[in-house]
Amino acid sequence: MADHTSGSNEKAKAVVEAFPKKLNRQALLSFASCVHCGMCNDSCHYYLATGDPKMTPAYKADQVRKLFKYHVDWLGRLAPAWVGGKTFTDDAQLEELKDVVFGTCTMCRRCTISCPFGVDHALMMRMTRGMLSAQGVAPEGVKVVSNDQWQTGNQMGVSQEDYLETLAWLQDELRNEVGDPKAEIPIDKAGVNIVFVVNPREIKYAPMSLLAAAKIFYAAGEDWTMPSVGWDNTNFGLFSGDDKLGAHMGNLAYDQAIKLGVKKMVVSECGHGFRATKWEAPNWAGRDLPFPIESFLETMVEYVNTGRIMLDPSANRKPVTYHDPCNLGRSAGITEEPRFLLKRACMDYREMTPNRQENYCCTGGGGAMSMSEYSSRRLQVAKVKADQIKATGAACVATACHNCVDGLTDLIKHYKINIPVKNVCEYVADALVLRRAAHVTEEMPAELRGRSVLVIDDDPDVVTYLTTLLQDHGLKTFTARNAAEGIKVARRERPDMITLDISMPGRSGIEVFTWLRSEPEMTGIPVCIVTGAIDFRQLMYHRNVPPPDGYIEKPVKADLLLMTVRRILEIKLHKASPVGVS
Amino acid sequence: MPIHLSHFTAVLMDEVQIAALLFMAVVYALKIRWVLSYKAGKERTPSRGDTGKAIRYAYTTVAMPWELPSTRKHWFRWVEFAIFHVAVATAIGVTFVMPYWPKAIASPPVVSTLQAVFGLGLLAALSRLGRRIADPSMRAITSPDDAFSLIMLACWLGAGVLAAPQTSEPALIAFFGLTAFFLVYVPFSKISHYIYWPFIRYYIGKHLGHRGVYPAKAVPNRA
Ligand code: SF4
Ligand code: SF4
Repeated sequence: MADHTSGSNEKAKAVVEAFPKKLNRQALLSFASCVHCGMCNDSCHYYLATGDPKMTPAYKADQVRKLFKYHVDWLGRLAPAWVGGKTFTDDAQLEELKDVVFGTCTMCRRCTISCPFGVDHALMMRMTRGMLSAQGVAPEGVKVVSNDQWQTGNQMGVSQEDYLETLAWLQDELRNEVGDPKAEIPIDKAGVNIVFVVNPREIKYAPMSLLAAAKIFYAAGEDWTMPSVGWDNTNFGLFSGDDKLGAHMGNLAYDQAIKLGVKKMVVSECGHGFRATKWEAPNWAGRDLPFPIESFLETMVEYVNTGRIMLDPSANRKPVTYHDPCNLGRSAGITEEPRFLLKRACMDYREMTPNRQENYCCTGGGGAMSMSEYSSRRLQVAKVKADQIKATGAACVATACHNCVDGLTDLIKHYKINIPVKNVCEYVADALVLRRAAHVTEEMPAELRGRSVLVIDDDPDVVTYLTTLLQDHGLKTFTARNAAEGIKVARRERPDMITLDISMPGRSGIEVFTWLRSEPEMTGIPVCIVTGAIDFRQLMYHRNVPPPDGYIEKPVKADLLLMTVRRILEIKLHKASPVGVS
Repeated sequence: MPIHLSHFTAVLMDEVQIAALLFMAVVYALKIRWVLSYKAGKERTPSRGDTGKAIRYAYTTVAMPWELPSTRKHWFRWVEFAIFHVAVATAIGVTFVMPYWPKAIASPPVVSTLQAVFGLGLLAALSRLGRRIADPSMRAITSPDDAFSLIMLACWLGAGVLAAPQTSEPALIAFFGLTAFFLVYVPFSKISHYIYWPFIRYYIGKHLGHRGVYPAKAVPNRA
């Protein structure tokens, strides 16, 4: 790292003091054992894609290990330069270290399984992230999301009201889908078999997977519930290195499960969420849990094995491949369950190479999706994953993690592979053989007809497509072809909702969005981002203003657009009748 | 046949070695105590896999180059590693035998075998050194201690080639002089990695076994 100076050293001093205290035996061994053999070099996607010697796992670890060598290692304390030891004397050095531990490592652990010693880079990186975070030296998105988990109990700052309204809306969707007006998404039902904890992305932006899960529970005749609190299975404590936050998030979920007296907790498809909830948070919280925790993948396998659900693979005819999320494959031992399910739910399953515990990271791990300052590097190193996907010849990708869905979607767009990515449960739900024929509604409910949507997009084809679709479903539309016009029309027409493109000539959609969220008379208008650019993620994570109400990626799929518009309008305008909390 | 040794060489091969060995043993004991003085992180959750099997697996992967993605891909480097470490282990063995039972390793076939092993070890060391110099990604992670340790080991194996016939006193002085130096230096240098290896493999095996990741699943399509 280059030596810059900031003139202050308080934070550097605190980090140096904290370092030896943070070491446990496993961390000490990881710092002490590396012989710099370089065997792990090309296991890392950062190095593989860039060829940059500063991107090898050992080099990156050495940026922290220098502290170990200087302050802890026996020879290093006498002759630090001889063993590569160096200490931090200026806060500016911490900023450089931040870029290394947050911006060049997704804590995927592929190097660990390649290392003849098993040096755990993720452990060292997380420990360092923790020391930096404690000094406030962390990417903005990590700080915002961590703060939201502390304040609201979920990483997207979803209010209790929005959470319950979304579930009510989803329950309506479920009833439509399965054709049963009694189908339920129960909340806080005591004494049930399963409490289901989810990723807030499923509530806020991508309810398809939660709907799929509800449909599977319905088909299996499961006695289950969503909790009204402690429902977020994600845990930024894992990414920020803050064990206290890790314990807090675990405790929220565990306490509610105990209060409800459930038999087990099932974690929806989220790699780090499952790892944190099942394996890490009990350690952070120092708790022995009175109930087992399993992944929804395991639950679905049990349903298939016991005949509680039946699958018809002809529902998924296109070739599909599976991306193993690092946190499931390398840190939680879940590799066979998704394959079992996909082979039964799809006609043409194709293995990705390498796979299982050797799979490459989606590049969105370790909280990378929330760090937009490193997006361009993330996409550059994603070439490894893009090549892996292309080589399968698959027409769609399945994974079991919401982070991976986002990471893969970004790289697929960037490398123009143009295939969809969905969670495993969505393939399973599509293949479900229901007693009643499923009925997917694209109808706009009567109370939403006549509502107005402002479409802001510089592409005339997109404008025509969106407005035609919305008008065909009874909505009134206004259009604007650039930011200035969009602001003008929004002020004049006060639409019920806005769809907003991000990349437009002149002022960008991000500026328009910030304006909409800051103008008192505009803040009540829900905004759905419709974009082909990946910069929109900063609106979700760097929240100077409240995040968007939804997002849809281009090319826009009609059913997804209609579903999202319906969800946003129903929740924000109609305020679906709240579901009962039993 | 072993030659008659001067008093200096005889002391170097016996008393000096024993003193250096004792020093190393004491430092290693302290080092192990130091490692154990750090609290080990524990899992509170019930295990998902067979931890004992996973620990055994973690220990045996060193002899199964097909198991790690790195050694599967860089099989030549694994062969190099094996030759180098066999040569070093043999040289250590020789330092115990030669001072006390010189005739046991003095027959021409044994001498030739030892020279071949040390020679191959030397080549492996030089190849590793060459890689550290030529490959920018290796250069970037090489500390002075890494380079020095490798150069000294190469010299030691070279001295071993010359000392194996036990006919050259300067060669014996070089070989045992370097041995004594290593016995004192090694516990502080990167070469002490073999003290850590059993510990770190134990913990990674236990951790990944607990989570059901180790032993690695049968992977038909691995790259
Ligand atoms: S493979 Fe292990 S010992 Fe070798 S450089 Fe990488 S971390 Fe260090
Ligand atoms: S943990 Fe993953 S991203 Fe980090 S250095 Fe290792 S291989 Fe690279």
